[in-house]
Amino acid sequence: VRSFIEASVSGRVPAESFDELGVAILTYQAEHVPAYQRLLARSGRHPADGADIRALPAMPSEAFRLARIAAHPPSDDVVVFRTSGTTAAARGEQALSTTATYECSVIAWGRWALFFDEPKPLGAILLAPRDNPDSSLHFMLQRFAARFASSTHYMQTTATSPIGASALERVCEGAWRAGVPAIIMGTSFAFVHALDALGGRKLPLPRASRAMHTGGFKGRSREVSPSALRSQIAQTFALSENAVVGEYGMTELSSQRYEATLRAEQGLEMSSARQGVFVPPPWMRVVAVDPESLLPVAPGEPGILRFEDLANVDGALAIQTADRGRCSGGGVELMGRSPGALPRGCSLALEDLLENG
Amino acid sequence: MSGAFSFEERERRVHSILAAARRLADSRDPLGQEARRALPAATGLSEAGVELGLSAHLETSVSPDALAQLIARAGSAPSVHVVLSANVFVGAVRAIALALAAAPSVFVRASRREEVMAPLLHRALREADRGVDFEMASTLEPRPGDEVHVYGRRETIDAIRASVPQGVRVRAHGPGIGVAIVDAQRDVMPRAAALLAGDIVPFDQRGCLSPRLALVAGSADEVDAFGLRLAEALEQRQQVIPRGVLGEEERHELTRYRDTMQAIGKYHAGSSFSVGIDLAPRGILLPPTGRNIHVARLEFQGDLTRLLGPLRAAITCVGHMSASPLAALAMTLARGARGLPLGLMQRPPLDGPVDLREMV
Repeated sequence: VRSFIEASVSGRVPAESFDELGVAILTYQAEHVPAYQRLLARSGRHPADGADIRALPAMPSEAFRLARIAAHPPSDDVVVFRTSGTTAAARGEQALSTTATYECSVIAWGRWALFFDEPKPLGAILLAPRDNPDSSLHFMLQRFAARFASSTHYMQTTATSPIGASALERVCEGAWRAGVPAIIMGTSFAFVHALDALGGRKLPLPRASRAMHTGGFKGRSREVSPSALRSQIAQTFALSENAVVGEYGMTELSSQRYEATLRAEQGLEMSSARQGVFVPPPWMRVVAVDPESLLPVAPGEPGILRFEDLANVDGALAIQTADRGRCSGGGVELMGRSPGALPRGCSLALEDLLENG
Repeated sequence: MSGAFSFEERERRVHSILAAARRLADSRDPLGQEARRALPAATGLSEAGVELGLSAHLETSVSPDALAQLIARAGSAPSVHVVLSANVFVGAVRAIALALAAAPSVFVRASRREEVMAPLLHRALREADRGVDFEMASTLEPRPGDEVHVYGRRETIDAIRASVPQGVRVRAHGPGIGVAIVDAQRDVMPRAAALLAGDIVPFDQRGCLSPRLALVAGSADEVDAFGLRLAEALEQRQQVIPRGVLGEEERHELTRYRDTMQAIGKYHAGSSFSVGIDLAPRGILLPPTGRNIHVARLEFQGDLTRLLGPLRAAITCVGHMSASPLAALAMTLARGARGLPLGLMQRPPLDGPVDLREMV
């Protein structure tokens, strides 16, 4: 998988095709992931039978909250990423026996969306705590900082501590004085907290700076529309709106989707470089399916999103979410959660279960 | 006002709406016949499902003790404006009874999805001509001092709270679920399964008391067997009372619930029901409404707190067969929930709103 990733981001033809690799991984998972074995048994299909990957069942994302979905025993875990949550409810988990593939995927697609111009030096401002070992987002931010930044500043003490306006001012003013561009990264609700703490004060960052935000808001902070948040981030840090890049990730997946707006702004033409459209990497396929039949809908039509992520070797390559969206032109446009589904992801795992009375 | 609107007058007003309900329950009464004609289309329930609601779940009488409690819980206001939900059509009677007990002036806004029950009750009261009445309203126009009793979705409640003038009290009864507690050591499992099936079927499980979750203490084999028995009991009920039409959201959610349970547990489904069984639950997955129940095993007493804790605020009703420590613990966790015997989860006494959480 790592060879596939490296080949595809460097424009080479991978030695194995997506489907060849996908079938091999699914066959491995069919053998070693009990939950997937049961799903396949119910469907009467098996990857070894030569079925199209898309015709094989996908693991519902809720399953990661209710059972261990892993091809290896817990004793081989090197990390377990968990979905965020403030309640005692069970949290979704992705257990990894190695982080090498995850890291390869994160770095490769992060470079494509955020660091393709390799600004040097670059400061990383993380609206996050230094330690948060459960969080796949935190893992990713740390890897970005280590790989692409010359300095890193964490803006929180713990995952629940407030973001201090004075610390943020100090770091941003330092970057401005030094003329060193920065990337400021965090969850959407962390940005909202930071903007609230600043109370309208502007903290311009040097030219070539950028921002990356991810996730929604539900239950964690006041809700702000993505376009309003983008605009507020841009104004506060003196960035163009296209330099405020949205990321769409899930704890259960090992690859991310990004808005390609920064690439477009820097002249790398992208057909899908629109705000609100998230582009998956070549080692991930996304398809919108009908919520009842789970069959693909026509391109551009809304459905719930199914992901096939080659980097998900240890758990489930194919995951069926309740996220509503539409796929076209190589990008995914999000349309919110399927009614009744549990909110998840970086927004948090709050129960919003009940719509009947 | 207390002189003109005495306890006796409040009693009389409640009895009047129950007399109106008796006409709807009576299949020979023209109003009862009209209800039976119109309700299947308005509710999506089958004809047999509507008949079950009218004949077995519509409140037509009240004990003196329950009536005294209902009047006490109703409170007092110059006017009450009732906003009805569509999910459980018989709920109109209890909601209007509470309003009539609380205020001399009552306005009722029916749900756009179910505009049958309230107008029929209105007609029955008018035809009885006993000086007890309410107004059907298409808009909500409370004045300071009035109360609004709203039944329905969280969004509806939030919108109404935001829209009423200052000085108007909103008493909201929002979404909720029923939870059944079964203990293999104490309960006769086949009987418990049959009773629970009887609680799931009414209103195709769309009521806020409807059980969506059964926590079963016992060995894996016992819990497994209970799930199978429950599936059999639901299949038997289906023969007598077919399920009505599922909504689009219910169908979509059911697909996800099915696939998730097939992956992580067991899943038994018939033509109109499903039973998901999780023998080693890390958390709870609620199935959609429409006769679907999630059975989770309790291996240790601490499992109950762990599994039910996150849902505690949503629990309106705890159904149990025996007065077990588990049922008592569930009641403690779900503060404000009703405790009802299995088989009677959808028939609480007429002693206040079905959902008592607002009273805590």
